[in-house]
Amino acid sequence: MADKSNDPVALWQNMIGEMEKGFNAFANQAMASPEFSKVVNQVGGATAGAQKQLGELMEKYLLSMNLPSRSQMVGMAERLQSIEGQLNEIKAMLHQMQGNAAGPSAGFSATPRPPRTKRPPPAGGEPK
Amino acid sequence: MKAASAPDPAGFGLASIPERIQSEVQRAIQRSIKGVEYISTSGPSLGSTPKDILSTRGTMNLYHYRPVADEIYRVPILVVMATTNRGYILDMVPGQSFIEFLLKRGYDVYMLDWTAPKPEEKSLRMEDYVLDFIPDCVRQVQHDSGENDVTVIGYCFGGVLSLLYGSIFADGPMKNLICFTTPVDFRGMKLFQNFSDRRYFDVDHLVDSIGNVPPEMILSSFEMLRPASRTASQIQLWENIWNDEFVKSYRMFDRWATDTLPLAGEYFRAITKDLMWDNKLYNDTMTVGGRKADIANIKVPILHAVAEHDHIVPYEAAKPLIAKIGSADKEEVVLKGGHVSLVAGPNAVRRLWPKLDSWLCERSI
Repeated sequence: MADKSNDPVALWQNMIGEMEKGFNAFANQAMASPEFSKVVNQVGGATAGAQKQLGELMEKYLLSMNLPSRSQMVGMAERLQSIEGQLNEIKAMLHQMQGNAAGPSAGFSATPRPPRTKRPPPAGGEPK
Repeated sequence: MKAASAPDPAGFGLASIPERIQSEVQRAIQRSIKGVEYISTSGPSLGSTPKDILSTRGTMNLYHYRPVADEIYRVPILVVMATTNRGYILDMVPGQSFIEFLLKRGYDVYMLDWTAPKPEEKSLRMEDYVLDFIPDCVRQVQHDSGENDVTVIGYCFGGVLSLLYGSIFADGPMKNLICFTTPVDFRGMKLFQNFSDRRYFDVDHLVDSIGNVPPEMILSSFEMLRPASRTASQIQLWENIWNDEFVKSYRMFDRWATDTLPLAGEYFRAITKDLMWDNKLYNDTMTVGGRKADIANIKVPILHAVAEHDHIVPYEAAKPLIAKIGSADKEEVVLKGGHVSLVAGPNAVRRLWPKLDSWLCERSI
């Protein structure tokens, strides 16, 4: 087996690792400057504003094309989620009813719960 | 002539060059085959430990994991997940699941996990999380388990929410508190501080314009902390794509890391102003819904696990927790690893989980 320090594959991997560390350190230093924050936030702020305006424009365009907009699709997805949620609630209620029929300690799930009697293993002993 | 007998004055391992070439050619072939496989298949199924959904309400989801031990500790655990990420980081795959570990060690485990807040949930405030969601889940855990005491485990910002909850509801029912990589002094999060510099970052404009903060923005702010790491990890993936275990692990963590959640607008506004700008948790001036949240009020036993190489919550940000908390029974443990490898993956299996179990078992009876 080749010496790791001279193995070209190991050297390549090491180089990638070092480059990653070096670049991250360099970038972190640059990103710690107030100038960076200023530029990023100016761009980000402008993008957020533009995104909002574009969204409103698209909504009008889709309306004129008689197509559903994203917010309408999101609304439909929400209604579906709400139906799913209600189904889950019904399911949970059914489980609870089933659990209550099985016994008072059964809780939401119908499966019986183990007793809450576990003690810590003795010092130095293997956990159960 | 055998290659092994060739002189190797430069020490380049010439003796094994044919073997290395053969091995590299084989790996190159494997890479092509596995590369196609990678694209055409989905990753492993995550978060599959059997559980029941106790409650869902908007972004809030409360699960109960089905116990697997014959007998369990008296005090149930409620895990409070960070609001930026999905809870399955703590339940990856069998053998690498913190939840499975706890269940096997005899704990009764519940999780407060989050789904993406919907556009109309942009008005959720810090008080909705601290004074409504967590107390509601604690009540449901009490009701479901039949126990009054509850151990709370908070990961990252889930730890911050747990601290705020514990400091406001200091009289109980929280019996123990475990925090993983929980920031308290937000000056220590230097890059996040700079990204949200109040001179340049107009959080009001952002929230008023877009409502919920999109997950892409959260993800890119995390990735900006280590901008070269994504490319480097993709190179590593290509090099190791012949290795099924490596690929499985890569897919699990990559899927989780990119599965970032949006943040409710008002909640994000409060985080930025109260914590990032005014550092109120550290300065003991934090209030939630008009109620003072001073972590010195927390008197229950606490374990704080922090990572030596955490780039998201650096040690300087997490360190003051133990000094400031009011508990007499308190311990900080600094473990090797990063923000994620502290709680999940092979290192966590060896380091954090056994430590947590040995600390918690005595306090769970």
